[in-house]
Amino acid sequence: MREVELRLNGQTVARPAEARTHLADFLREEHLLTGTHLGCEQGVCGACTLFLDGRPVRACIILAAACDGAEVRTVEGFGDDPLMGRLREAFKRHHGLQCGYCTPGMLATAYDIVRRLPDADAARIRRELSGNLCRCTGYAGIVAAIEDVLSHDPPAAQVVPLPRRRRFRPGAAERSAAAAPAAARPAAVSGDLPAFESYAGPRELADGVALNRSVLVQAPLATVWKVVRNPPSVVACIPGASLAGPPQGEALAGQCAVSLGPMSAAFRGTAAMRLEEAERRGRVVGAGRDGLSRSTLEGTLDFALEPEGDATRLKLSLVYRLKGPLAQFGRPALVEEVADRILAQTVAALAGRATGRAGAQAVPQKLAGFSLAWSVLRGLLRRVFWRG
Amino acid sequence: MKPAPFDYLAVDDLAGATAALADGAKPMGGNQSLGPMLNLRLARPAALVDLSLVPELRTVEESAEWVRLGAAITHAEIEDGEVPDPTGGWLRAAAANIAYRAVRNRGTLGGSLAHADPAADWVIVMTGLCATALLAGPSGTRRVPLEDFLTGPFATGLRDGEILTAVEIPRPGAGARWGYWKYMRQVGEFAKASAAVLVDRERGRLRCTVGALGRQPLVLAEPEALLAAEVTPREALAQALPGRSPADLALHATALARALAEAGIGDAA
Repeated sequence: MREVELRLNGQTVARPAEARTHLADFLREEHLLTGTHLGCEQGVCGACTLFLDGRPVRACIILAAACDGAEVRTVEGFGDDPLMGRLREAFKRHHGLQCGYCTPGMLATAYDIVRRLPDADAARIRRELSGNLCRCTGYAGIVAAIEDVLSHDPPAAQVVPLPRRRRFRPGAAERSAAAAPAAARPAAVSGDLPAFESYAGPRELADGVALNRSVLVQAPLATVWKVVRNPPSVVACIPGASLAGPPQGEALAGQCAVSLGPMSAAFRGTAAMRLEEAERRGRVVGAGRDGLSRSTLEGTLDFALEPEGDATRLKLSLVYRLKGPLAQFGRPALVEEVADRILAQTVAALAGRATGRAGAQAVPQKLAGFSLAWSVLRGLLRRVFWRG
Repeated sequence: MKPAPFDYLAVDDLAGATAALADGAKPMGGNQSLGPMLNLRLARPAALVDLSLVPELRTVEESAEWVRLGAAITHAEIEDGEVPDPTGGWLRAAAANIAYRAVRNRGTLGGSLAHADPAADWVIVMTGLCATALLAGPSGTRRVPLEDFLTGPFATGLRDGEILTAVEIPRPGAGARWGYWKYMRQVGEFAKASAAVLVDRERGRLRCTVGALGRQPLVLAEPEALLAAEVTPREALAQALPGRSPADLALHATALARALAEAGIGDAA
């Protein structure tokens, strides 16, 4: 807990705040200013929009601790403000609100539009309002209210942007421009991988995402099969994956840590593996859950071997489905890219094992961008039940 | 919907930030991308060091060749022309279309690039403008071209303890042209497809960049053929991105065609 001092609606106030408390909660619970509404709490709906140092911001994604010494103006702090008075009247007259939940945020954004864009037309107003959701009015009344205020000589705004804090500190510009020129290119994971060809693999999980990878392994079929049919060796080739213990009969349990940028998840689960020895192919079906992010992952991994001369072609086909907040934030194209890179790493590691190169070290231990995909795969494998 | 507990560290200067990173803290810019992930507990850092007011990251430097914008300069400052725009308005226009004004007032240039969301505006715009990332870390400073700095989805070449301090944007030569186009389902959302075209013959910089691919931006190897209309955007992308679905290719090819048209080259598809 730290003391956070604000100039709040014209008064200097100080209350302790936990580091994790966002500004909206701090205002509502410590200062009892409940006019700032919380809708989505993830920066999407705009209901919590208020003025920080004279600029509209989203209070749900600003830490209270980061506002120490700042000037905050909430919807409660505009009582005597002539421009806000005009907006309130116009909202009332044009039916710019019904339930009122979005209204504090709408008024803040409307105030900013009138102040910053005196020539805004209806289309521009709508664009500027795109970050504030209203489920009652259909926006028509809100847009009309703002247009009305703009076209009737609005009073000057009293809340205006304050100078930025600690800006352009003199003498801070000596940073050396001519440091080492673009040093060694950072290891791009894709660059470390052998080229893979895609092949059309089987598709099972309806509405899942399907990814295919294949690689030519310079080892005889029997050798590669020995690696692939052994769950612990497969798991060891999946970045971030680990088994919870030795296989219990045919069942495997384990976990897979995945990170996607700052997001991380550890999927715990089980899986089952079915082998078709004669065909030299098999399938792993698994599912897992990350309790903290309340996200689930399920998937099917098919693998098949085919001889090509003295070498062996290893084909992997992954179908996965990620659900929950992680999927919501990951966005499909992004998760797919990460999963594909994990699959590529896995296939490369398997090939490395089969040829005796690099062995278990074939898989980089830490892959900054791939953790999400990793987690997914690890989750998959951790849930692996082997039903030989 | 409340973040897991963490420590918040406010530091006075870059040295303090570097020390905090060495102690295991994670860097935080304007918190506009990280914030939602914290609230949903998708990100659970033990400690965050706030870089948004670090003085060294709030500086602007200019030379005849470039402008360096500190990493903690906000999108809104660029949009409003509070900091110099070496491109004569291209940066301002791109900034004005990032998310929403309330986000632009907090979100930072460096935070966006270090976060490396494949669909983010600065990720493609700075790559497309041939900008350079300036990094400072325990073993000194270095310069990395944006196309090398960005290594994958949410992945950069930042080493342990390193901080992105500024972005150096080269001044375009006379007669340089630029096109940037992105497709969103609705205003303010992340792009589904985007492309940037820079034609700067005086300085010898030709670049066609495709973004929002789920990976780092794609810098097309042979922009000249595209600019001379010897290959279509669709053909260029099909060659550079094998394995993409036709629908995916069509979307990104359209973005590229429109960026080319914005730069005054060819017709929009």
